[in-house]
Amino acid sequence: MKDYIPKIRAFIFENFLFDAEEDSLKNESSFLEQGIIDSTGVLELVDWLEEEFDITVDDEELVPENLDSVILLSAYIDRKKQS
Amino acid sequence: MTKSSLIQSYLQQAFLSFPDKTALVYGQERVSYGELYSRSEKISQWLLKNDLKVGDRVGLLTDQACEYIAAYFGILNAGGIVVGLNTQTSNHALRSVLEDSSISILLSHKKFLKHDSAVKEAASVRLFETNIPALWENETEAENHPCPQLNTEDICQIIYTSGTTGTPKGIMLRHRNLIANTQSVIEYLELTEHDSIMAVLPFFYSYGNSVMLTHIGVGAKLVVNQSFTYPNVILDQMVNEEVTGFSGVPSSFAILLHRSSVRERDFPKLRYLTQAGAPMSPTLAADLSTVFKGVKIYIMYGQTEASSRLSYLDPERLEDKAGSIGKAIPGVELTVCRPDGTPVKPGELGEIVATGENIMAGYWKNPEETKQVLKNNRLWTGDLARVDNDGFIFIESRKSDMIKSGSHRIGPKEIEETILQLPSTHEVAVVGQPDKILGENIVAFVVPKDGCDISQKEILRHCRRNLPAFKVPHRITLIDDLPKTVSGKIQKLELKNK
Repeated sequence: MKDYIPKIRAFIFENFLFDAEEDSLKNESSFLEQGIIDSTGVLELVDWLEEEFDITVDDEELVPENLDSVILLSAYIDRKKQS
Repeated sequence: MTKSSLIQSYLQQAFLSFPDKTALVYGQERVSYGELYSRSEKISQWLLKNDLKVGDRVGLLTDQACEYIAAYFGILNAGGIVVGLNTQTSNHALRSVLEDSSISILLSHKKFLKHDSAVKEAASVRLFETNIPALWENETEAENHPCPQLNTEDICQIIYTSGTTGTPKGIMLRHRNLIANTQSVIEYLELTEHDSIMAVLPFFYSYGNSVMLTHIGVGAKLVVNQSFTYPNVILDQMVNEEVTGFSGVPSSFAILLHRSSVRERDFPKLRYLTQAGAPMSPTLAADLSTVFKGVKIYIMYGQTEASSRLSYLDPERLEDKAGSIGKAIPGVELTVCRPDGTPVKPGELGEIVATGENIMAGYWKNPEETKQVLKNNRLWTGDLARVDNDGFIFIESRKSDMIKSGSHRIGPKEIEETILQLPSTHEVAVVGQPDKILGENIVAFVVPKDGCDISQKEILRHCRRNLPAFKVPHRITLIDDLPKTVSGKIQKLELKNK
């Protein structure tokens, strides 16, 4: 499994957490519960995923199980790249 | 249920009529009307024990629906004025509202302890309680403080909206304003205790507040999920809870249509969709009626100054009166007027003026602004419209340059002032530009100072540090000059179309 985590973290910090300390985001923390990403943020995230990884995020894949943490995102990208 | 004269009697009547019926579904929690009423009573007793006086402002800063609703009714019962606070706030914005409304007690959740410094700086706040459930879970002492006598003329709620000047405006609503509006909406939506609503809008805005009151007013069920981050989760809940209604702003519907699996699902119990908060494009409305076949779609229009609702378009006329906001709701009179107050002829442009029991008492501590919009008990809305030969109203534009993005109304001034804090910026103009999902995107046009280098990224970073997320511009455009009139006024209309 390819490690997408550094890239994902960089995107989250760049766009949602800015100058926060590196250890303020745990890879398994829920973006929703931590208030990191809202409904427009998730659309930004999807645009980035599609552009950066050349994948298509289907509407039915817009669920927390795929997108709601760094770890889940990394696994999701991996699955999409394999398929 | 019988008619109420005070807002809190809605909950009391629902409790007396349907004590075991589910009032609220929120996350894993299901709360009956009996339980909700009991919680609100205990909060009320706690407030009275803590010397709450009639007319004291009590702030509500929580995104937990069960806490918000119980506290809302508890505050009213104790004679307080509810001030629902935007949970997506910054220290600066929070402090400004706390001070403006002189909130004495702030009911909140521990996650908002991050704003502790702003609360401490607001001199009026004498109690900052961040564990609302503890107020109703404490069974050790049975309180019996008598609730004060109130009347329908009393102010019961102040709702803050963004002012175009950058300073938030507190809109004062009396019991009778909210009661009149709630009854009217119940009537035209034909709501009953058999209904259940998917409530996605925040309760601190007037539309969400109206959704809450109208459904509690009939003893219906509220299924609350105010995060629209994962629309498919909302759709799952709509199916599982067999909701009969959904209320959203245009962006909620745009997200459902373009970013969810709504087309693959069935909603056999769904009876009505309501839309307000910003104009919905006729195309989006047409798409909705294709996807939600047989469901009544209510296009509505209103203002916080009118306790929320002013007009709706009869769902039967959605097609032949596409783009219209319909006609006045029961109990309201809408006239499109010339500047001298006389009604326009069909096709002529004028300003929408409203009268009715639902019109606010005025702006909190702001008689000057109140005088500008309330003249002889008529509310001048600032919205410019035309009326057709059948009396249907079509909005053309707004007098103010308020931006409507998602469920938020955003005054450009605060964003402009924030960007101007950067020493390399010379001039800034912030406008809303059309967006398929959000209704409007926030776009900042920035003129750098001569000889100064500033990047879009730098500006954006500064905004993100200093503004709540929903006020951060979606786009920054660096520009040499802003278009201006001969008198030097920035031509925002030109920028809107750029």
